[in-house]
Amino acid sequence: MKVSGKLVQFSINKPKLVTTVMVVVTLLLGALISMVQVDTDPENMLNEHEAVRVFHHLTKKDFNLYDVVVLGVVNEKNPDGVFNPATLKRVQELTEFSRTLADPNQPEKRVVSRNIIAPGTVDNIEQAGLGQVRFEWLMKEAPTTREGALKIRDNAMANPLLKGTLVSEDGMALCIYLPVTSKDFAYQVRERLLEKIKEFDGEEQFYITGLPVAEDTFGVEMFYQMALSAPLAMLAIFLLMLLFFKKLKMIISPMIVAMVTVICTMGLLIGTGHTLHIMSSMIPIFLMPIAVVDSIHILSEFFDAYQRIGDRRKTLEHVMDHLFMPMLYTSLTSSAGFLSLTLTPIPPVQTFGLFVAVGIMLAWALTILFVPAYVMLLKKESLADFGIRKNKETPSDQAVAKHLDWLKHFTFNHCKLVLTLTVLVILVAGYGISLIRINDNPVNWFTKNHPIRVADQVLNKHFGGTYEAYLVLESAEQELDVTAIADRLVTSINNNAFAEDQQKVSRAALGLLAEVKDSATSPEQFYSQLAQQWEASQDTANDADYETWAQLLDTLSAAKNRGQIFKQPEVLNYIASLQAHIQKTGVVGKSNSVSDVVKKVHQELFAADPQHYRIPDTANGVAQCLISFQNSHKPEDLFHLITPDYTKANIWVQLRSGDNMDMEEVIKDVERFFSEEPPPIAIKHNWAGLTYINVVWQDKMVTGMLESFLSSFVVVYIMMAILFRSPLWGLLAMGPLTVTIAMIYGIIGLVGKDYDMPVAVLSSLTLGLAVDFAIHFLERSRNAYQRAGSWRKALDEMFAEPAQAITRNVVVIAVGFTPLLAAPLVPYKTVGIFLASIMAVSGVATMFILPALITQFENILFKTKQQ
Amino acid sequence: MHDQLRAAALIFVACLFIAPFSASAQPTADEIVAKANLAAYYAGNDGRASVTMTITDEQGRSRSREFVILRRDQSDGGDQAFYVYFKKPSDVRKMVFLVHKHIDKDDDRWLYLPALDLVKRIAASDKRTSFVGSNFFYEDVSGRSPDDDSHELLETTAKDYVLKHTPKDPASVEFSSYSTWIDQATFMPTKAEYLDKEGRKYRVVEALEIKEIQGHPTVVKSRVQDLAAGSETVSVFEDVSYDLGLKEEIFTERYLRRAPSEVRK
Repeated sequence: MKVSGKLVQFSINKPKLVTTVMVVVTLLLGALISMVQVDTDPENMLNEHEAVRVFHHLTKKDFNLYDVVVLGVVNEKNPDGVFNPATLKRVQELTEFSRTLADPNQPEKRVVSRNIIAPGTVDNIEQAGLGQVRFEWLMKEAPTTREGALKIRDNAMANPLLKGTLVSEDGMALCIYLPVTSKDFAYQVRERLLEKIKEFDGEEQFYITGLPVAEDTFGVEMFYQMALSAPLAMLAIFLLMLLFFKKLKMIISPMIVAMVTVICTMGLLIGTGHTLHIMSSMIPIFLMPIAVVDSIHILSEFFDAYQRIGDRRKTLEHVMDHLFMPMLYTSLTSSAGFLSLTLTPIPPVQTFGLFVAVGIMLAWALTILFVPAYVMLLKKESLADFGIRKNKETPSDQAVAKHLDWLKHFTFNHCKLVLTLTVLVILVAGYGISLIRINDNPVNWFTKNHPIRVADQVLNKHFGGTYEAYLVLESAEQELDVTAIADRLVTSINNNAFAEDQQKVSRAALGLLAEVKDSATSPEQFYSQLAQQWEASQDTANDADYETWAQLLDTLSAAKNRGQIFKQPEVLNYIASLQAHIQKTGVVGKSNSVSDVVKKVHQELFAADPQHYRIPDTANGVAQCLISFQNSHKPEDLFHLITPDYTKANIWVQLRSGDNMDMEEVIKDVERFFSEEPPPIAIKHNWAGLTYINVVWQDKMVTGMLESFLSSFVVVYIMMAILFRSPLWGLLAMGPLTVTIAMIYGIIGLVGKDYDMPVAVLSSLTLGLAVDFAIHFLERSRNAYQRAGSWRKALDEMFAEPAQAITRNVVVIAVGFTPLLAAPLVPYKTVGIFLASIMAVSGVATMFILPALITQFENILFKTKQQ
Repeated sequence: MHDQLRAAALIFVACLFIAPFSASAQPTADEIVAKANLAAYYAGNDGRASVTMTITDEQGRSRSREFVILRRDQSDGGDQAFYVYFKKPSDVRKMVFLVHKHIDKDDDRWLYLPALDLVKRIAASDKRTSFVGSNFFYEDVSGRSPDDDSHELLETTAKDYVLKHTPKDPASVEFSSYSTWIDQATFMPTKAEYLDKEGRKYRVVEALEIKEIQGHPTVVKSRVQDLAAGSETVSVFEDVSYDLGLKEEIFTERYLRRAPSEVRK
């Protein structure tokens, strides 16, 4: 007896044992689920040690940056916008309220009070009459008069660092930026702000957005969604099965198989120490249709054969004999499809692929073992009226049968037409695929009217943008050795054009320099020794020489600080022109850099004269503007844009859109700028920030998915060739699958739906599911052909039970997942639409194309077989 | 004889001043504050120090500034002038910061930026802004007016008076109150701790080292810690001397562009 037979016999003979073992294992694994650790951070799509993440964290540290929750306040009713005493009072109250926000259970998760950007927390440099400048809080206290409110607006609008960032360019809105120590605190911040905002009854609107909020909120809602969608899908499948098979007791078994599969797989996932990530949360939704497919095949065949055979043991043996190999292979191919995901460079996708693959094989084992055991455990009487009796067909049975009969004749008689249409479909699909646009944006994971999506739209209309990316610049100049440093220094001393009476000092200095040059072994040593020598000479010098020595020492420290390139006026002007350049794309609404700070301070120092909104001519001028800036309440604000040692600068880029394709556009634009207008000094540039990270993992996702998809395509083909012991039949099996995938991705391209994370992941599901029907159909076709002797006769058998099973499956799964369409999260809708389409298209493709192909190539196919 | 008379008179005058203290063993909070103000900010009639300020941020990155500070008092406890001449970093060398501290009105402040050849007046309405990017505030450098707070003596330890100071105009400052530890013998404040509006300690100013120079207890090393930001600034005072006879004209706009020779070591 074959292994298959043994397994089935075991289950038929020991149904109670099988059931007990299943229940115990499920309970044990199910208990592990309670250890769940949730991880909603899309950043974890990348390995912790991935270069971009390492750099992102380094950048956050270097510039003291945090992930930011954006709270927008818009007042479109008041002619002065938000700049009226009532609104500003509430803004102030909210700012004070946000300062104290912290997670009660994990106090290290909190709003970084010091780095809040709000009218009450930013400093403004302003004219204070009589040629004075003053550093003053933009809004020290909420104003009580209209004039006071408007003055705040005017001050903010006059500050290029604040305009478009803190205050909208139309003056109607303002934004409070709340940095959080941990991204997964963003949802709580939003909730608590919303609660506070409820207390207000003003005319202004409040909006909360920002990538951390979108990502964290998605994580939270995802779990509600999982708890809602999965059972709803389950219910829909259940109702449809009830419609087809009428027997409640029978259809409970696929439900049990699906539930047990999901519980055990999730238990294994969590028990093995994996976090529940956005990706792995989708495992149940993927597993459920796959888990019920095999059971439906069994039930469907059992349903059709039971009344004919009359004995459940014999019927089961008959059914399982037919189905064992196709079920094994469909499960193996689906598993292979998902397993190929482990080849992607994205850890959560690897986990996802692995556990879905495990789940599929588990579902297969359960189907083989438990479904027969379940049938055996039922009371014999309760099966009495199960299945089709010749003259008692219900309308739905008749409809299916009638349709199949038509299909049988159509594919046989018009096989050329079917094949021509197929080729046409593939051509159109190919065109559609060429149109596919790769893009993602976590905010678009919410449906159009979700508050986060609305907030995103409103705020990005008013402001320079709520999506942040950081363009980090640093010197790429080469390190010099002692000799080179000394030579340069000599040159610059000689260039100093010292007056006659200073020559004595400069000669002495050069003498000391030559000595130190010979003795110093490292640049550091050279600098410190020379400085020591010169300072010693300075101490004993007279007043006139003292000044010369001081000048020489300045030259020395300028040489030493050669790496402090972001004090150099030409570098700051370069940054400014880079900013102006990226601003032209339209995606970048605003960018802030140290250049803006220097210009603004310079302007205010010169009585706010717009002519002086520029970078001073010397490095010392820059340094002195910056030290003036540091006389403010928050000098450390400068170091979000530059490191204290002036060796790195950060351009804070605000994007109006978090779409990856828009970010990519900006990246390309920056590359163009660097190649067309090379910087005055060798400068490296590198991106950080969540918006950028999303682009990186999307890239990896897309290429990774494509590779894994292609590799699983090959693997599935090899499996098919082995299963059918014929490369040709293997090719045949790939037909419907190829058409399905081409069509689905063609449609995505044609309708302009972005190829995003969910779509990418679904490609592997397509592969696994779409091949199933072909396997069933071809395996049965060959058996039928052998019995019947010709394809014409085999068709009668094919379009009875096997075709029935496929049709039922198509309908159950396709319709079963429609509840997902009602989900407020877009990826769930996508999954729903996809599953339905995959089932429908691959079902139709199988039922039309395979019979047509076999009809057309009957001789070749069966001849090779006979050989 | 003349000398004896003079000595007697001096003792008499001294008794007049000391009497109130010996009468009531415990001075009032206001008295302690007044004496501390004098001890901390009015030693001698004028003074000079070379200061190295090292600012260290949360990540341990540090940067420093070196300057010479000249001070001249109009009268003890009264108006004062400060002249701060920067030596390092070299790109701000010759930058000068001049303050005329007034008791009964806002201070006058000037900033001279040599690279821009610009003398700029800085409005001094808010003294609790950073002093050249350090954790010291202007008010820490020139002294907070005792009249701005109401004072309360919390306790008297073996060595110190511990006082609590509450601002009279809470909206004008970022703290809700602060406490000081004042040495009973010298009346030198040795520590101040500031509480934020939520009552959390967030800022500590300390005298790390005090030396007697020309008879004046002098802080030669001090530190400000910003507990919220995790940063701190340490100031080291060298070459301190008092009663140099600094001319009043040094502390005028004329000397901003051309520094007096007193800024040399």
